[in-house]
Amino acid sequence: MLILPAIDLRGGYCVRLSQGDYARETIYDSDPVRVALDFEVQGGQFLHVVDLDGAKSGIPENLDAVRAIVRAVRMKVEVGGGVRSLESARALLDVGVARVVVGSKLVHDPELAHLLFTELGDRVVAGIDARDGKVAVSGWTETSSIDAVDLAEKMVSAGCRRIILTDIERDGMLTGPNLEFLEKVSAAVNIPIIQSGGIGSLDHIRQVAGSTAEGVIVGRALYEGKFLLHEAIAAVPA
Amino acid sequence: MITILDYEINNLGSVAKAVKHLGFEAQCRRDLQGASKLIVPGVGAFGAAMEKLMPMRDEIRAFAASGKPVLGICLGMQLLFDSSEELGEFEGLGLLPGRVRYLPPAPGLKIPNIGWRSLAYRRSDGLGNGAIDGEQVYFVHSLYADPVDPSDVTATATHGIQFTATIQRGNVWGAQFHPEKSGAVGLRMLSKFLAC
Repeated sequence: MLILPAIDLRGGYCVRLSQGDYARETIYDSDPVRVALDFEVQGGQFLHVVDLDGAKSGIPENLDAVRAIVRAVRMKVEVGGGVRSLESARALLDVGVARVVVGSKLVHDPELAHLLFTELGDRVVAGIDARDGKVAVSGWTETSSIDAVDLAEKMVSAGCRRIILTDIERDGMLTGPNLEFLEKVSAAVNIPIIQSGGIGSLDHIRQVAGSTAEGVIVGRALYEGKFLLHEAIAAVPA
Repeated sequence: MITILDYEINNLGSVAKAVKHLGFEAQCRRDLQGASKLIVPGVGAFGAAMEKLMPMRDEIRAFAASGKPVLGICLGMQLLFDSSEELGEFEGLGLLPGRVRYLPPAPGLKIPNIGWRSLAYRRSDGLGNGAIDGEQVYFVHSLYADPVDPSDVTATATHGIQFTATIQRGNVWGAQFHPEKSGAVGLRMLSKFLAC
């Protein structure tokens, strides 16, 4: 199973939020490149980057930091946050990002979803962020009435190749992944799904490895030293 | 009845769901009782899987010899071959002549091969019915099947080398990728087998 360490960017810094709350921010490092290199040294193969400023404003805001990371590491990098147009997606891909994560915009713009999946194929990933099974949008500041399973099905119909599924209530809480939710979505769509949110121990990593998830995103647990990335990679079969 | 073979180590769930989604009824069983079509899914290592399958080997061979359709998926496809070099030397079900080998390592090549890859079709029957060259499906594997008879190969994909993506020899079909994880393309292929 693929283990994707996460870097959340805000103002060029590597930070973490709790449950997506912008007021509950912890700055972990002023230099995200240093963090990315450390993940690479530990055997990381795919880095998950979130542009928190972009997620709120609707346009990528940390392009310089993303460029610096992509130039410094050999591992693949995916970036989400503020990607709400084909141009924004292309701008990131041109910088050398392997794939972009598109979130809230997909909810309200099925035409854009179709265009992105048609033009970019598996280089665009649908980020479905949910609170109580309902899709959250605009940097998680709003929850819609749209059911996450319904959105996942719509995305697949539009040509989506991969979903990153985040349970916001678990994000940054270290209390364990919501696998019930993952399997519910997984049962409805026949594409790979990456689990995100709630990982706080190696046991949680093993639990995800026993699910249908293709991979798992780990953030706070690594920053708080609950375990090291290389330990997580060694804990589960490739 | 379509039987999805349950031999304890495989991923029945997602295959069963895909079959159901396509409007077909299927049963997950540890034997072939009442089976008119057989799907052999599979994840994990060849040797461990064959150990579980060995008690059913003759039954599966007789089923295939009777002309009833068999579809192997991922490791399930590899198990249909004569032998594998995965973690040792193992004998397979022997329904397809050939051997399962490790993808040769190369600089910059990530193994296992995980992700969406394009297919190049060689045949337009079976799983290739209605196919479009270049369409993508989802792979997760470190080994590939090397058939004795190249005309059995119905589509290839490339990861360092060109390898068997789908195969069909008479009533025995196989897919190295996961049709049940490959969106609309995967469902179309699965439906070709279910309707054959």
